[in-house]
Amino acid sequence: MHIIKISWLYAIIILVASFQIKANETPTNNTELQQLIDITSKTELWKNVEWLNLLHYQGGPASTDYLSQVDDPIFFNATDGKTNPENELKATLISLYNTNTSNQDEHAQCRNIARFNWLKNKFPDSFKQSPSIICKQYLEWRKQVPEEKVSLIFPAYHLNSPSSMFGHTLLRIDPAENEQASTWLSTAVNFGANIQNSDNSIFFAVKGLAGGYSGTFIVAPYYEKIKEYNREENRDIWEYPLNLTAAETRRIVLHLWELKNIKFDYYFFDENCSYRLLELLQVARPELKLTQQFGLTAIPIDTVRSIEHANLMKGTVYRPSQTTSINYLLNKLNPTQRDLVLKISRDAELIHSDAFLQQNSHTKNIILDTAYRYLRYQQNDSGRSDSNAKNSYLLLEAINKTENFSSEEISFTETQRPEKGHLSKRLAVTAGEDNEQSYIQLDFRMSFHSLEDNLRGFLEGAQINMGSLSLRTTEEETQLQYLDLIDIFSITPRNDFFQPLSWRIYTGLEQQLINGRDHLTGHVTGGAGVSYNLWPQSSVYGMLTARLESSSQYAQAIEPALGISSGLLQHFSFGTGHLELSGEEFYHDEFRHRIKYIQNINLQRNHAVQFSILRQRQTDLYFTEAQISYHYFFH
Amino acid sequence: MKRLVSSTLLLLASSSAFAVAPGGGGCGWGNALFEGQAGPAPHILAVTTNGTSGNNTFGMTTGTNGCNTSGAIGYSGKSMLASVMDEFSEDAAKGEGEAMTAVSVALGVSPEDRAHFAELTHSNFGSIFPSQNVTADQVYASLQQMMKSDTQLSKYAI
Repeated sequence: MHIIKISWLYAIIILVASFQIKANETPTNNTELQQLIDITSKTELWKNVEWLNLLHYQGGPASTDYLSQVDDPIFFNATDGKTNPENELKATLISLYNTNTSNQDEHAQCRNIARFNWLKNKFPDSFKQSPSIICKQYLEWRKQVPEEKVSLIFPAYHLNSPSSMFGHTLLRIDPAENEQASTWLSTAVNFGANIQNSDNSIFFAVKGLAGGYSGTFIVAPYYEKIKEYNREENRDIWEYPLNLTAAETRRIVLHLWELKNIKFDYYFFDENCSYRLLELLQVARPELKLTQQFGLTAIPIDTVRSIEHANLMKGTVYRPSQTTSINYLLNKLNPTQRDLVLKISRDAELIHSDAFLQQNSHTKNIILDTAYRYLRYQQNDSGRSDSNAKNSYLLLEAINKTENFSSEEISFTETQRPEKGHLSKRLAVTAGEDNEQSYIQLDFRMSFHSLEDNLRGFLEGAQINMGSLSLRTTEEETQLQYLDLIDIFSITPRNDFFQPLSWRIYTGLEQQLINGRDHLTGHVTGGAGVSYNLWPQSSVYGMLTARLESSSQYAQAIEPALGISSGLLQHFSFGTGHLELSGEEFYHDEFRHRIKYIQNINLQRNHAVQFSILRQRQTDLYFTEAQISYHYFFH
Repeated sequence: MKRLVSSTLLLLASSSAFAVAPGGGGCGWGNALFEGQAGPAPHILAVTTNGTSGNNTFGMTTGTNGCNTSGAIGYSGKSMLASVMDEFSEDAAKGEGEAMTAVSVALGVSPEDRAHFAELTHSNFGSIFPSQNVTADQVYASLQQMMKSDTQLSKYAI
């Protein structure tokens, strides 16, 4: 089946390509077409930003200095269309006048409907002599895709999935009336890598970074996305209605049809889901300059901020995830009532018990609602079971029989808004003293958030850093202090309802004292354990850790160590404090113990001061180190 | 160069990930209530967000993966219902909600009759959802029956 498809594809490519070569070279005998070619070439219309946006060109300024990000020959009309917007414009005009109309849906007027539309608007008196084509498939598709309004959708962070830790963005296109306040049937527009079901997450991450995937736009009903993010992945969804006009929205829809099944290169960090959406917005409103703000990385939330900064947003809608909703409702109950929720979720017949019946009707509503949601959460997690289904049904029945049952409205606070959080890159200047030797240190972090950083807009207890680098200079020398490739630390407190694992993994290079002096040492360190809330805004954790260390100073290429790590994380109103006790013992009998306290003080959204003090014992040596740092966040 | 930097950077992000991609799942048409979408925790380390698996859904799909019928147009009321049955049952019990609105729209109910549809579904909860083992097929038939025997909604029954 696939073979047939592929050979068809090739046949079409060859057909189109051979036609284009001919078309490029043959002078036309259609006078209207010739006039169009003449005038567009005289006015250098190909330099128009709208044209460059529609073809996803980057580069310039000469026509041969461009490169389109589209990686699919069928998208272009000129054989060198990928690299030459001037020739592509000419070839597009010729294709639009192509008199071969045997397959109307495949005619350039349909395949390149956005380009066609743009040219028609530029030259309203032209295209009288072009063939008249009816794009049947397009018209059928359009019946289902509304075109009045656009929302930017940001499913927030999902710490336990490497491909989703940074969040995600998609667009949603709504009809004018929103179908009476339901956006479920709206159209979600998503750019994603074309992965195989057999590719696992490791594979995806590696291949995604190296550019091993192609990406395409996918259009699907929005309710599929709500289920995917809110229910299956337990991620809050933030929706930002944009102020695009109906005409601007229409340009996106037309362009989407042109991008149907068209492949782009896909790169996890920069040419990703979020970057492509910025391009779509620039097609809608050509004066926007969004993509140029993103070079090395296009972190989803940074692109959300750039859209906010361009004054495109006109509101916020919050869809809490399943777990957010359950936690919100649990906070409305006292410990006895919470215990009742748990018991009822295990045996719904307990709704006839005195313990439940004696509650007031408002509390009864919350208990029923929470128990039901908790059962749904469990089902998502472990699949359908007879007892879960039976209890769920009994609770729905009870809800149905409750007069004037109403669910609690779950609102958000301003401090939760992800777009208001600190920016993703961080620069730090540090002054410190290590065993009476003073130093100055410069740190750069490519992304994203540490436990001690300003919590506003981020997940509590979620540290995700990629690409950190530090240079330290003392009176004697300047050295690379550390280079962290990845550093993930997830502290998710357990309670009676949720029993997540807390875990950590980080790896990179760092200075270690070996045989009396510092050596740059490679390591991979990981750990897993548990964490609990002591009181709100405070959690303790403990985990077992393992470490592999590699240095030219060691007898073995790799030295393994086992250890423990425990700590207390406290979010004060002025900033976060983090106390950690940790230690590990190496196979070759050396050991390290340390106690460290970090106190962050938030000055402004993107400015902070941090103090830290460390006392470490390394077999028979003792060190003390103190630091003060200034942190600046940017993107 | 930046590709090289990025590639190196993330060889490691993946060491924490060992899960398989989420399975597509069946159509969900004969599924009982509360079947949901997820199997045993496929989402924990899955790659759903930035990836899309295989079946190329450019046009509107007609429901869950297995329900796609290429060439079929739009969300028909039936497959839409199969896809959101769990959410719909909750809204039917409560008497309102977005799943309720979406199902009424998909069944072709006009805006002015949707409140009535919701009310009727709410009061007929027990007969539309007689047990936890009811299937989407049966729920659809009951809804049609309910609309047929209601003067205001009979025009929408098929």
